[in-house]
Amino acid sequence: MESWYIFRRNFRIWLGQPMLLIPNILLSIFIFIVFGSSFSASVDIPGFPTADYNDYFTPMILIQTLIFASGDAGYALLTDILSGYFDKLLLAPIHRFSILMGVLLMTAVRMLVMTGIMLIIAVIIGVQFQGGFLGILLIVLICATFGVAWSCISIIIALKTKSAQATQSAFVLFFPPIFLTTGFMPKELLPHWFQIAVTVNPVNYVLEAVRAITIVGWDWTPILQGVFILLGLTTVLMGLATWMFRRATA
Amino acid sequence: MASPTPVHVRDLDKTYPRGAHAVAGVSFDVAPGEFFGLLGPNGAGKSTTLKILATLLKKTSGAVVVAGHDVDRDPAAIRRSIGFAMQDVGLDDLASGSDFLTLQGILYGLHRNEAKRRAGELLDLVGLTDVASRKVGAYSGGMRRRIDLASALIHRPALLFLDEPTTGLDPQSRLAIWQYLEKLNAGGTTIVLTTQIMEEADRLCRRLAIIDHGKIAAEGSPRTLKSQIGGDTVAVTLDVPPGDTARDGQERGGQGIAARAVALVTQRPYVTAASSHAGRLTIVVRDIRGAVPDLLRLLQDNGIAVRELAVSTPTLDDVFLKVTGHQIRAGDTSGSDADAAMRQSMGLGKR
Repeated sequence: MESWYIFRRNFRIWLGQPMLLIPNILLSIFIFIVFGSSFSASVDIPGFPTADYNDYFTPMILIQTLIFASGDAGYALLTDILSGYFDKLLLAPIHRFSILMGVLLMTAVRMLVMTGIMLIIAVIIGVQFQGGFLGILLIVLICATFGVAWSCISIIIALKTKSAQATQSAFVLFFPPIFLTTGFMPKELLPHWFQIAVTVNPVNYVLEAVRAITIVGWDWTPILQGVFILLGLTTVLMGLATWMFRRATA
Repeated sequence: MASPTPVHVRDLDKTYPRGAHAVAGVSFDVAPGEFFGLLGPNGAGKSTTLKILATLLKKTSGAVVVAGHDVDRDPAAIRRSIGFAMQDVGLDDLASGSDFLTLQGILYGLHRNEAKRRAGELLDLVGLTDVASRKVGAYSGGMRRRIDLASALIHRPALLFLDEPTTGLDPQSRLAIWQYLEKLNAGGTTIVLTTQIMEEADRLCRRLAIIDHGKIAAEGSPRTLKSQIGGDTVAVTLDVPPGDTARDGQERGGQGIAARAVALVTQRPYVTAASSHAGRLTIVVRDIRGAVPDLLRLLQDNGIAVRELAVSTPTLDDVFLKVTGHQIRAGDTSGSDADAAMRQSMGLGKR
């Protein structure tokens, strides 16, 4: 119950800061248009799976948007730590984990909103989702879960460093997982070293699950693989965040 | 009814992970209903001590019992029993004053409507009803302290911790907060306050511990502490008739009027020392109560005219200087200013 009220407070704060959301969305639209156009001829390469590059590229844009937005969770937490409000919450006779729960609930809502906006833009651009309505629902679920899991990284950094600079600059760490994927090109068209990087990058499996739903439909092998890896990733990152939270508030 | 001792601290020690020895063997007790003060400069260990008492920091060693609960064994029970207004006022800048207090109420177990009502009550108490719907971030320094104090009172705690509640405030805001605190204490709330403002300690605290470099240097009521310095001083300027030897500061052969006065007052039991210089007597008294009228009467009865009289009392500054060997340097808050500046630049960076 306390988690709910802390979430409500976080939500109100978020609503009061539209500039946390708008630049992020604009950047994603920009990347969508610029990259989508400049790679549009790739569909003529033999072996390219789709006829429209945007269909292929949409999952990449979703993942990129969520990863870029994942820093907000750590940033919001850090703002409270530095202002002393976090201490005020620790002082209250509540279960301390409800503070973390409040942050994660807020993150989930933020990620749902981001995913929703990007999906609407994709539909407007004319992207066809082969998985249909249920497929889109599953994409939303996967994306929100991934967004929350990935946000745990910024939460961990905020709790560990309690430094604005460290939390802000952590986004540099986000580039390899975004770009070392099959987001632009199918694996078969990538150089050998890149293929290895793609294979060990857990984010790629999540991406491929979303893409399978988008361009193929209910292709269970990549979907289950992606969901399985996503659950593992979520467990590990949330576990680490919880552990770090316990340490920071002990 | 035997209520538990609000605060019991024995041999409290705190060494930070990076080696700073913030608190080095502090012991004190606070009785129910007492207004107790920890007086000391920045870095003396006041805030660290209070944070340990409030369960925000773990001690290194020692025994701490707050509101009857051991700080290690039952921190949750302590949190329910205390109100704590921290030095770095932990406010929610983007929330309105009433939203902020209402959430505090809910977190302290009040129902939503009850929390709203209580928030209104407290806003009224600290005189912020007019700005209740404004964002806390827009409040002035004094208003921020007041709403923070209000948030510490949300669950009507019987024990209140205040970490430098008026540091950095203008005299008017300071006075307003002092008056709230006096009212609360009169209503039965036990208050433990830290301060580096002598005037504040002197006015509010029934008992004080002077803390410096993590150790308690002296403890007692402000009055007792000051009386250790020596008593009050009465300075009397005599109306010296022309030709008297006291005129030029020479008390030849003890014949002058000033010498006679010194001899007279020294006989009084409450006078510990008396001397004169150029027609001015300096009389140190053990107890000022009744001393002034008696001295005046004594001098007048013996035909010695008094032109001026002034009483000076030793201050806590004198006490602090004596027990620690240095001045307190009140108002040096460079540390928290830096924090505020950092927070501000952060806010500008992303909002």
